[in-house]
Amino acid sequence: MKTQRQTQKDQTRKLLLDTAIVQLAKDGLITTKTSDIAKAAGVSHGTVFVHFPTREILLSEVIEEVGMRIASRLNELAGNGGSVRDILTAHLKGLSEYEAFYTRLVVENNLIPEKSRHTLIMIQSAISIHLNHAVEREVSLGSIRPFPTHLLFNTWVGLIHYYLSNADLFSPNHSVLHRHGQTLIDHFLTMISP
Amino acid sequence: MKICIACGMPMQTAADYPQGDMEKDYCLYCARPDGSMHTFDEKREGLTNFIIKTQGLDEEAARKTALEMMAKLPAWKSYFNP
Ligand SMILES: [Zn+2]
Repeated sequence: MKTQRQTQKDQTRKLLLDTAIVQLAKDGLITTKTSDIAKAAGVSHGTVFVHFPTREILLSEVIEEVGMRIASRLNELAGNGGSVRDILTAHLKGLSEYEAFYTRLVVENNLIPEKSRHTLIMIQSAISIHLNHAVEREVSLGSIRPFPTHLLFNTWVGLIHYYLSNADLFSPNHSVLHRHGQTLIDHFLTMISP
Repeated sequence: MKICIACGMPMQTAADYPQGDMEKDYCLYCARPDGSMHTFDEKREGLTNFIIKTQGLDEEAARKTALEMMAKLPAWKSYFNP
């Protein structure tokens, strides 16, 4: 059994993570102030540092949290035995739930601390391996052509990231994934079909 | 549900465990053929190759990421905090 104190600590941590996701998406991963996160969460500035000793640790943990949520969404929607289409659809579904934050991540990727970038690489690997399992099944059925794992994944992610990072051109004031996601899935599948 | 202490993978069913042994704290990808857990060097190389295969990273960049990831996992704590 968790003590009441521990439960409260967990709740504050979760509140800070959820608030940071929104605030970082709004003001940018590099430029958002921890004091603004504290204010938005309704806690003192010092409380942030009780849970996350440095800003860098906070950022790394927020990225990990969002990544885990996207990966587990993929698992939940297309985990065992999903088709390639199921995996791509679930991936975009997960991304669209954190679209503003994820877009920041794509755009600011070269600027964030190395530690956070490593976190992102591990999450992408988890998604890549999911996609690969589905691809292997469909290659053996002859419905998809074989490609090296990394090239297939990078082609998919490259496409999505291009649309996200230029969302202002493809879909101003609207979710670019809602507007174009289905088209991108269809196009990608057509490209890898025999 | 347990999380593999050596690579962080969630272990949902017996099929995720070495030789189906759900008593173990590590997953089948972190086990040798005899069921024992990989060494630090084996896991580092395994993860490095995994990252290269799944994302095509440069070998040194992939190895750095592998180490960063291992630093967060209980199985390898002693290698990072001497
Ligand atoms: Zn493992």
